[in-house]
Amino acid sequence: MGNFLKSTRFRVILCIIALLVGVMVYAVSVGGYTISGIGLFNSIAAPFQKASNAISERVEYLLNLYSNAEYHYEQNKALREEIAELNEELADYEQTKERLEELEAFVGIKEEHEDYTYSAPCEVVGYVTNDPFGAFIIDAGTHDGIDLYDPVVTDLGLVGMVTEVGQDTATVTTILSPELSVAAYCSTTRDQGVLTGSVSLAMDGLCSLQYLDKDTALKKNRVILTSGENGFFPKGYVIGYVQSVQSDASGMTCNAIIEPAADLANPGMVVVITDFSGKEEYNEAE
Amino acid sequence: MRQNKETSRYYLKQTIQWAAFALLMFICFVLETAGSFVKPLLLIPLVLCIAARTGEIQAMAVGVFGGLLMDIACGKLLGYNAIWMVICCVTVSLLHSYLLRDKLLNILLLTAVCAGIQGYLDFVFYYAIWEHEDVSLIYMKIMLPSSIMTLISAIPLFFIVRWIARLCGNRRTYELEKTIMLNYQ
Repeated sequence: MGNFLKSTRFRVILCIIALLVGVMVYAVSVGGYTISGIGLFNSIAAPFQKASNAISERVEYLLNLYSNAEYHYEQNKALREEIAELNEELADYEQTKERLEELEAFVGIKEEHEDYTYSAPCEVVGYVTNDPFGAFIIDAGTHDGIDLYDPVVTDLGLVGMVTEVGQDTATVTTILSPELSVAAYCSTTRDQGVLTGSVSLAMDGLCSLQYLDKDTALKKNRVILTSGENGFFPKGYVIGYVQSVQSDASGMTCNAIIEPAADLANPGMVVVITDFSGKEEYNEAE
Repeated sequence: MRQNKETSRYYLKQTIQWAAFALLMFICFVLETAGSFVKPLLLIPLVLCIAARTGEIQAMAVGVFGGLLMDIACGKLLGYNAIWMVICCVTVSLLHSYLLRDKLLNILLLTAVCAGIQGYLDFVFYYAIWEHEDVSLIYMKIMLPSSIMTLISAIPLFFIVRWIARLCGNRRTYELEKTIMLNYQ
């Protein structure tokens, strides 16, 4: 062992470690942009990842079907009860009208925001291994006009933001992550807050709308939209629905638990909004 | 003449062996990025199994390659896992050269130590340091199950690597090792 420490081999290993430290420092210096060599590797690996992911999702679905039969039965029962409750609610004219207004707001987004420039639909090629907040990789990058910090959406709602971009792939951080903060408001009550993730809520696929007024009129099932105030997200895009509202520890403000409208666990196809009016370019923000 | 033929056959087998190891690493990388559920970090036991059968320099190369693949799969800072895997692989290679025998139990112990420390460092540098609320949930629900799965995955990977090494390795060296082992027992 002593001989090894004095040998050339040991010096070579030390040099390689020093080189890796240099690579790490360089990776930090380029920010969220993928280093070119790695970008090339990602481009080669993407089709294999896509195929493997498709198999994995199918196996996951089948396993889920057989292993969670009891859970599905219970869930089915619960959903039937929920449907009955909803039917009762639907009978109430006022509530139906309220809901209709919210749906109108949802449908009207595209017509209202003709300034959005969407990328072509992107497929999820893989997931960031064991990420608690469900970050994933899409098959589009700078070649497709995607840039760092572009918002990512599905037809159902906001998914997250591009946090690393290569030539042909990009990594998307979801709204479940505490790293993202989205200025948001309720389409009906106009209550404003900051949407962010937390570790415990992310485990259940939820996030929270914080800093709401303590007398907030928010109620279950209200629609939460982006307010577009920080320039990173376009105004008026659906984020999710209110699950519950509770006072925070200090009692000065309220927090609402939000269920994202988009399926963040299996987003399927996503679209990147590459441009919208009020977009604040990263460089300008810097 | 015969010696030349044997030498060229040896190099051919070595090339096939390293190509098989590289392919195995790529397959593990692809599997690591498939699906949004908690998965084992297959590359850790794989590079350790390979490092246990090679010299220090080859082990270092395997560590760099495997570590960089882990960085890409896990979305970590490039070089972060690579440094740790180089240290682990060189240590495993040295331990197998001087102290340990090529046994499954040894690989399991080494995988447990490497995966445990890697998981802990990951938890500290990527989550705990930011002081998020309920951060221990990440350790209990993701890191720990993943480390246990990584440990279990070392069993099939050990046998796969051993099979490739025996299939492509130098027959004479293998027989020599076998004879030494028999005499030792």
